[in-house]
Amino acid sequence: MTRILLSDKLDNCVERWRSAGMTVIGPVQGESISRYAVVENGAGFDFGMILPDRSVKELFFPQTEPMLRYTIKKSEIDTADFPPPQEKRIIFGARACDASGLAIDDSLFGWDYKDDFWFHRRNESVIVTIACTKADDFCMCTSLDLAPDSTKGCDVLLRPLENNRGWQVEEITDRGREAFAVIADLLQESSDQAAPTAVVTEKFNLDACVTWLQNPENFDSKFWKEISMRCIGCASCTYLCPTCHCFDIQDEGDTYSGIRRKNWDSCSFALFTMHTSGHNPRSTQSARWRQRIMHKFNYFPGKFSVNSCSGCGRCSRQCPVDMGITETLQEISKLQS
Amino acid sequence: MTENIQNTQPNIYKPAITKIVARHDEAPGVRTLKLEFQNPADQEEFKKTFRTGMFGLYGVYGEGESTFCVASPETRKDYIECTFRQSGRVTSALANADIGDLITFRGPYGNRFPIEEFYGKNLLFISGGIALPPTRSVIWSCLDQREKFGKVTIVYGARTVADLVYKHELEEWQQREDVELVLTVDPGGESPDWKHKVGFVPTVLEEAAPSPDNCIAVICGPPIMIKFTLISLKKLGFDEKNVYTTLENRMKCGVGKCGRCNVGSIYVCKEGPVFTAAEVSRMPAADL
Repeated sequence: MTRILLSDKLDNCVERWRSAGMTVIGPVQGESISRYAVVENGAGFDFGMILPDRSVKELFFPQTEPMLRYTIKKSEIDTADFPPPQEKRIIFGARACDASGLAIDDSLFGWDYKDDFWFHRRNESVIVTIACTKADDFCMCTSLDLAPDSTKGCDVLLRPLENNRGWQVEEITDRGREAFAVIADLLQESSDQAAPTAVVTEKFNLDACVTWLQNPENFDSKFWKEISMRCIGCASCTYLCPTCHCFDIQDEGDTYSGIRRKNWDSCSFALFTMHTSGHNPRSTQSARWRQRIMHKFNYFPGKFSVNSCSGCGRCSRQCPVDMGITETLQEISKLQS
Repeated sequence: MTENIQNTQPNIYKPAITKIVARHDEAPGVRTLKLEFQNPADQEEFKKTFRTGMFGLYGVYGEGESTFCVASPETRKDYIECTFRQSGRVTSALANADIGDLITFRGPYGNRFPIEEFYGKNLLFISGGIALPPTRSVIWSCLDQREKFGKVTIVYGARTVADLVYKHELEEWQQREDVELVLTVDPGGESPDWKHKVGFVPTVLEEAAPSPDNCIAVICGPPIMIKFTLISLKKLGFDEKNVYTTLENRMKCGVGKCGRCNVGSIYVCKEGPVFTAAEVSRMPAADL
């Protein structure tokens, strides 16, 4: 017997969480794009998709985020903090890859200087992962030591029932237990079996790739040019990525008052690293693609002992020129073997 | 898991406010600003943390922030001096700021020159053009405790006589008996009354032929100068471990998050900007 939550109780759950002061967020199919968005009742969720087009990252590290407000007077400058919203949230129906992505970026945002904008939202959010029962050709979590039912970064794990009428409930953290205490009486004991998790085939040999990437000789390999020849530098892969964290800081306003913002940026852009002098350490698209792959599978794990990739496959799935991490690592696997 | 979620702290992107108390034109388009913190707590924090080699993000609200070194030494921490060339949006705004105006400062960030390890050794400073400011911070940090070091040699070159920065200080170093100053300008950059060397820094350095024995070299300059100066130093017998330099890359956050200043796996903002030549030679050259 395990505890289960029936889908037809979802309306009640949303209502409970909302009256407990939480904003309820879930996978939502919009007109042109799917994403994690606020839902008002059970009917708002769309659990049918493999995963939303946009990752959960934007709920913690928004595309643009005000950091401070400045006001300049005659002989003083006033800088006011712009704290992240005081909002408790439950993200119901995250995918394991998205939840893992958050845990991966915790190390980056907490490295020495702690980014409160990230951690404030992390501390105020409960992540309820629903294990995947289907996957597509782009899914690659299993190639990264993760799984469709990974609990990394998640507070409660739900496994869809075989009979499709709800989910088995597995509370992972105290934060998850707390959020589910609010709906404890809506859960029930049941012997319903969980549906098998999706089969995600291994797409590449990660160990071989890492060995190849760590070999300094391969930094100048002609492979980088060949593999990135068709990259148009649009940055879609970095923006959709649940772990890409690079940002720019820009002021929006005038000489007297305005807002300083943190905006998504991307290593795909030439301007990203361009010096004022005109010198650019990564002046070609191939150097920039190499940076992205090296960063995710060599530099980042070297610092934080975890790959900066959770295997969601969005970079390949949504690339306008059909490139992506999967293809690159598959090719590298071949080079190393 | 939530265990690794860390405690929160104040806004790490919030700069301190400083007042421009003096400014000085060094060369065409190159200006030095002397800054004082407005808030005593910021001043105290700076005094506690600043060591020579560290950098800061200087900013004008509405325009943005720009990264350069702290050009003043760690032996004089009541103020900050920065020297920059007016070339972009932020540096133009900084150049247009007047004495009494307020600008922002975030930092000091990064690592430092380990000058205690230089005690008792001869020092060779080599610098080109607008790269004298970071070297100057180390030079004064050492000259302010002159007795702790051996011979001090400074080799400094610029494209033209007009492009030499800190001209007043060059004169001072020239007159000091405990400093050997070698000045040079690129061929064609000399003026009729120029009494010093004419030639590129690496060539002039080889002519001066400082001994590598018990000597630490600190070099700063444009990438091309560094490349050839390192070759010259090698010829002169310097060990890469005794040669220090500072790297400067584009930065936005300064604290290891925004993801652009890395050379290979090395984040210049966190693990740098000061590196030995041995460390630099292990970095992928194509990423520099």
